[in-house]
Amino acid sequence: METISHSVKKRDHDDKISGEAMYVDDLVMDGMLYGKMLRSTKARARIIKITYPKLPEGYFVVDKDDVPGENKIHVVLEDMPVFPVDTVEYIGDVISMIVGPDKKGIDHIIDETVVDYDELEPVFDVMQSKTSFFHHDFEKGDLKKAFEEADEIYTEKFHTGQQEQAYLETNGIISYPENGKLVIRGSMQCPYYVITAVAKAVGCDRDHLRVVQDVTGGGFGGKEDYPSILACQVAVAANKVQKPVKCVFGRREDIEFTSKRHPAYVTYKVALKDKKITGMDINVIYDAGAYTTLTDVVLQRGLIGACGVYNVENLHVTGDGMKTNTVPNGAFRGFGGPQTFFTAEMLMDHIAKKYGMEPLAFKEEHFAKQGDRTSTNGLYHFHVPLPEMVKRADELSDFRRKRELYKNQTGRYRRGIGISTVYHGCGFTGNGERDLIKGVAKLRKNADDTVEILTSTTDMGQGAKTTFSKIVANALDIPMDRIIIKNPDTDRVPDSGPTVASRSIMVVGELIKRAAERLKKQWKPGEEQLITEHYVHPDFMIQFDTNTFTGDAYPTYSWSVNVIELEVDTLTAQTKVLKAWGVYDVGTPLDLNILHGQMEGGFLQSIGYASMEQIGYNEQGRIRNNSFSDYIIPTSMDVENMVTDFVSVPYDEGPFGAKGAGELPNVGPAPAYIDALEQALSTNIDHIPYTAEDIMKHLQEVKKHD
Amino acid sequence: MVNSYFTTSLDEALKIKNTKPVTPYAGGTDLMIEADDQASYLFLNKIAELKQITEDEEYIRIGACSTYSEVLHHKLIPQILKDAVIELAAPAIRNLGTVGGNVCNGSPKGDSVLIFFVTDSLLHLQSMSGERFIPIKEFYLGRKKLAIREDELLVEILVPKNGIDNYYYKKIGARNALAISRVSFAGILDTEDGRIKNCATAFGAVSDVVVRRPDIDQMMIGKTIDEAKGIKEKYLAAYDEAIVPIRGRVSAEYRKSVCQNLLQDFLETNGI
Amino acid sequence: MIKFILNGEEVTSNANPNERLLDVLRNEFRLTGAKCGCKEGECGACSVILDNRLVNSCMVAMGSIEGSTVLTIEGYSKTERFEMLSKAYADVSAVQCGFCIPGMMLASECLLAENPNPDEEEIRRAISGNLCRCTGYNAIVKAIQIAAKEGKGLW
Repeated sequence: METISHSVKKRDHDDKISGEAMYVDDLVMDGMLYGKMLRSTKARARIIKITYPKLPEGYFVVDKDDVPGENKIHVVLEDMPVFPVDTVEYIGDVISMIVGPDKKGIDHIIDETVVDYDELEPVFDVMQSKTSFFHHDFEKGDLKKAFEEADEIYTEKFHTGQQEQAYLETNGIISYPENGKLVIRGSMQCPYYVITAVAKAVGCDRDHLRVVQDVTGGGFGGKEDYPSILACQVAVAANKVQKPVKCVFGRREDIEFTSKRHPAYVTYKVALKDKKITGMDINVIYDAGAYTTLTDVVLQRGLIGACGVYNVENLHVTGDGMKTNTVPNGAFRGFGGPQTFFTAEMLMDHIAKKYGMEPLAFKEEHFAKQGDRTSTNGLYHFHVPLPEMVKRADELSDFRRKRELYKNQTGRYRRGIGISTVYHGCGFTGNGERDLIKGVAKLRKNADDTVEILTSTTDMGQGAKTTFSKIVANALDIPMDRIIIKNPDTDRVPDSGPTVASRSIMVVGELIKRAAERLKKQWKPGEEQLITEHYVHPDFMIQFDTNTFTGDAYPTYSWSVNVIELEVDTLTAQTKVLKAWGVYDVGTPLDLNILHGQMEGGFLQSIGYASMEQIGYNEQGRIRNNSFSDYIIPTSMDVENMVTDFVSVPYDEGPFGAKGAGELPNVGPAPAYIDALEQALSTNIDHIPYTAEDIMKHLQEVKKHD
Repeated sequence: MVNSYFTTSLDEALKIKNTKPVTPYAGGTDLMIEADDQASYLFLNKIAELKQITEDEEYIRIGACSTYSEVLHHKLIPQILKDAVIELAAPAIRNLGTVGGNVCNGSPKGDSVLIFFVTDSLLHLQSMSGERFIPIKEFYLGRKKLAIREDELLVEILVPKNGIDNYYYKKIGARNALAISRVSFAGILDTEDGRIKNCATAFGAVSDVVVRRPDIDQMMIGKTIDEAKGIKEKYLAAYDEAIVPIRGRVSAEYRKSVCQNLLQDFLETNGI
Repeated sequence: MIKFILNGEEVTSNANPNERLLDVLRNEFRLTGAKCGCKEGECGACSVILDNRLVNSCMVAMGSIEGSTVLTIEGYSKTERFEMLSKAYADVSAVQCGFCIPGMMLASECLLAENPNPDEEEIRRAISGNLCRCTGYNAIVKAIQIAAKEGKGLW
């Protein structure tokens, strides 16, 4: 094991554990006002008139007339207004913001405000939607021929549900004028996304803005685009009143109205010859919600992964991000991958069972290998470690023996053991790193020979401050306590790109490593030095064409094999996870404790995705279960006995051989869980979350037949 | 101007309840969810007389302001109640919430309420003008509608201590902790000289009020286990008709199936 | 005017009796270690130790704590037990985003104060009211096990 893999004390441990770390809601400023949103109660309507009560002294309404720049929020496109001009598109769509010195006073004003709507017909069912925000269509090989020559054609449709990130700290932003600039600070993953969006809304250039990331209590993608939206609104308010304005969401507000994981409908049509897959025709529909936000990028990743880790030579993939009048969906760890990897895994399971084969054996026959073409006719340039990872998972879990043992369970308690094999593409899809982000990182050596790392990467718990410090300390061969790393402040750090896409270590980490190596060569004791490093696109990559969707979508992949063993109580339909295993290849681990923590956290999120986490809407299009008592995430008593292990295939272009790790753990557990449940219940499952109710319904049907 | 009251004396509390329109606040874990800053609370949590746990010949007497944690740790408390309370929410809630609050919340999902129903507990109510004891079954008039008078406070819950050792209890929540009951079931079977002396069942979270049907359970009384087997189908059919679950966070069908399964299992684990 | 003991000192709060202890700690006393995660007693981010018991401070109305003792993470962090637990948490890198951590630490303290040698089941039950979305709980459980073992009579 590399020395760098050895765990160290995390750099943000002391501040956080003592309660001294300041999250945005902990900050109070002189003359600070609070802001709260007036939100639409209709899923789709034209606003005819808004009647506010008489505003007491010190209270303000902030709306479209207060937007000094363009009334558009830049996410990828700009279809979402800062404050709506005339229509609202989902329940919770922000109409205006009430600002004032007292929260109760603001609540009172909101209660007394009357909005006259002209209601329009909303669309809630994505299958009824006629608005495709984005459409993609790509192919590989000769699918027509594969279908013509097929022995048979297998068709199946799957559905995955919406999921809430449920970070423990809700969204929050403070904005205030200071020293001729407008400052925006708060809970966020991407300070440079925020500054770009706010510059447009406030109508000024970046030099007049300053964005600072505060200690962030979890993100998981939920604070990738959403802070830009909130920041535009709060910045416009602060700009209007020329005082600090703080807006921190309550939990119910955050669950009901902020971005979530896209629900998906995936249909497969598979050509089979001699019991092997020769081609796939895949259709993917993602429910975008009311505005485009990140849907195109999420959809792309889902399309690219729709045939899983399998070598499918003839492929046709079509996908649409469809509009519905529900909360706009955005990023959630995995970013489109968990949906289609779930469906691909279950597809393989079901085809295998059709042939009376063990799903794992069927999957193994189709594993992609180094040198195979990817779904977009790129290449698996590097070794694909799935076979040895499956072997390791089997050693740890005794999977094969138990799988045999648990066949045809009867009795009250029924066990099952399931396995999944997945990947996560590391970094931005396609040429994003080279053409869009063009990341820059800096190292500043001070006169006292301490070195400060200057990147826009945000630590939201995943340990970036620690892993980055390790990279630079190792490359410079100096102790960690000589390294300075602070929360990014756009006044001081360059744009290294957003903290998303499992790119931080692999891309930004590599930039700071190269900068450190250069600094080491040029080191001048006692002098101030500044090293700037620019992103260099790996030259082995096959150019990605966004029109034809061909080429290398990702430079490399991180892999995982997950096994879950569970037991169903057929009397109550409750499921108990007995034990769970994950074997991961993320290249060289840069800190084992940090990595185990990342894998374990994602494991539970993915189990929740498969089982207890679901979002229900009422007939008006409002989320019903908007509280932590109703949106159920796992507690410490829900998954005990979890084991995570690493197999390492170092990636030369990543720092010390490291690849992306942050999102991988969210991809595999859900299909492994469902595979296990399928065995326990002797049935096929085509949707998640598969809840206790689903289990009971199945059991009752079986009872009826007997 | 908000008027809330704090006292460490039961007499004082009854006086206040008699004259002011106050909301009794025991642990606060239900009230504080929708905290009303205009409410007039009567804080009972530090009244020692309401936190005694004692016994007499027939009953374990639990002070209404005993917290769930206090109930869990007290040696006099019967195991069936401890089994239910330990599954309630999580430690921090158990340290504040009270059995009295659970009863007076009026919800059919109350975890300790289910046990009070199946044991046919009595509620001890007091006011300045006197006191009365009412079977818990008669205390619930409908969803969140209680047979409590304006001037009354619940002071004790009396749990019959005999014949409750052979019990069956199961709570179904959405997860293993911090879970509101989706279905809950408790059953007691007490036999003497080979005959069923008491059969009691209660179903929680399926209807507006905990379902307690002593008239159906009555079928089992006086029978031997073999005789009970003979009327098992009739018994199950009677409950099949009696339980009409309302739709909540889970479907009525799910609740019904679970109730049927647990009732049957209760009988079968007792040899019926 | 509500008198109580806060982190060892007698204090008086001007809050009205219906206000939440969480809000009073954060706003009046500027002790921001207790966090607001949900405001309905479902997440434990606001945990404090009230009269030696772990409670959700968002569920506690000020009028109920006359004369009570309140210990927050700020007060607890001055103790030797805190140092032991903190070291244990650091050893396994149990702190990720940190938002649940003050609550977890106080839950850990309450467990070990009552049960210095808990088994894994008891540990998981003791922190079952503290939601964490980052860690999957494993590292936190390990940290408490380490602290219990190395505790050397602290609890």
